[in-house]
Amino acid sequence: MSALRVIAAFIRRDYLAEKSYRLSFALGALATLANLAVFYFIGRLFGSAAAPQLEPFGTTYFAYVFTAMAFFGYIGTGAGSYAGRLRLEQTQGTLEAALSTPLGVLPLLAAMSAWNFLFATFELLVYALAGVFIFKLDFSAANWPAAGLVFLLSAACFAALGVLSACFVMLFKRGNPLAWVLNNFEGLLGGVYFPAAVLPAWLAVISNLLPVTYAVRAFQLAVHKGAGLAALKSDLLILAAFDIVLIPASAWLFGLAVGRARKTGTLGEY
Amino acid sequence: MRLEAKGLVKIFPAPVFSGLAPLRALAGADLAAETGVTGLGGSNGSGKTTLFRTLAGVLEADGGVILAGGLPADAKRLRELAAYCPSNPRSFYFRLSAAENLRFFGALAGLTSAEAAARAEQLAGRLGLSPSDLKRRFDRLSEGNMQKVSLIRALSRRAQFLLLDEPFRGLDGVACRGLLELIAEAGKISTVLVTSHSRELLAAAAGRTLRIENGRLQPGGPA
Repeated sequence: MSALRVIAAFIRRDYLAEKSYRLSFALGALATLANLAVFYFIGRLFGSAAAPQLEPFGTTYFAYVFTAMAFFGYIGTGAGSYAGRLRLEQTQGTLEAALSTPLGVLPLLAAMSAWNFLFATFELLVYALAGVFIFKLDFSAANWPAAGLVFLLSAACFAALGVLSACFVMLFKRGNPLAWVLNNFEGLLGGVYFPAAVLPAWLAVISNLLPVTYAVRAFQLAVHKGAGLAALKSDLLILAAFDIVLIPASAWLFGLAVGRARKTGTLGEY
Repeated sequence: MRLEAKGLVKIFPAPVFSGLAPLRALAGADLAAETGVTGLGGSNGSGKTTLFRTLAGVLEADGGVILAGGLPADAKRLRELAAYCPSNPRSFYFRLSAAENLRFFGALAGLTSAEAAARAEQLAGRLGLSPSDLKRRFDRLSEGNMQKVSLIRALSRRAQFLLLDEPFRGLDGVACRGLLELIAEAGKISTVLVTSHSRELLAAAAGRTLRIENGRLQPGGPA
């Protein structure tokens, strides 16, 4: 079975399903524009004001939060979409039917959130265009190859976290402690809305345990300061270490969770 | 291809802290079926659906062995070999058309979109499902037409093992006749297992019938 064919089938299915909810589809696109309006007013409020904690990034608060939100919006897709998609399949009663086919765990993982990533890419492009043409942000110092590497490592890491989160859905249906942590603490502690340096020492310790902290910091430095591989070395190595552990572990655990559901006969339950 | 099950056991654990006992759905079921059609009868809760889901690789057995063509087959191998039509057709994407659903599940089974569409069209004609119904959103189909789509999904795989759980449910007379013909044709190349609570339909579909009671198989059809 061609994995590409499976991915294409999932994308087509999700596109058609989303399109069938016309109002929701339109509102989803409008939400991207509404977020941009929020940024616009944040920009008007803070202007070019800079805080001391922003000094290492060499940029204004507006540019910082705009970049972080656009970046986090994309990599966060992986963290949230696997569990969400799986839950939807459970409640629709289609999970067992899909897993009654020869479809393997890896193609399933590659295909399950493909539509979400595609839509997130569209949102990212809108953000990028708005950043350049509407908000006149200056990305001339950016080191795009380094930013791209941070982006890839971060997206893979968050996708792995999302797959781990989906394991809870597979086993317990509702009640997902990992999603709770990801939803409530990644933004707060990871330096998305403000640099992690603002956090008190005891919270900074927790912040240092989260991959998002390294991802956002490295991305900001690459985009605003033009930091290269040498300057980002420690953040990149930590992200790579998260990937090396989390990607195979998440795929393996998801396979175990599916196997457990087959054993207990709960694939069709919700 | 010969399909055998020896001493098949399937136990569903009770929910944690429920105080309930585990459910022993298959209690050492033995089955041997050759290419052709075998009917399976049994009362509600006797283990028919659990047996089919286990033979299709949807569930993993807790004991016993399943042989496909004389070789042990695990759940993964069975999912490659078997097409399963569940007794409940509500396992489709309601917002998508019947044709789009069949295209999607066809892709998961390794069919190209052209193959899936061609087989769907051909089988729909045999079951009395009109081209306009194929294009209709799944949730706007009648129960009987949903069942036809479910049958098309399983039949279009042209699998070595075809497991049809209550396939006649909700079908009108014309569709029943069409399905009997399709089952007979499938039985020439595949090992087909069919369940039904109707003695007449089971006799019409299958040359040999078995009966399952309390998770064990024995000769005979529906009571």
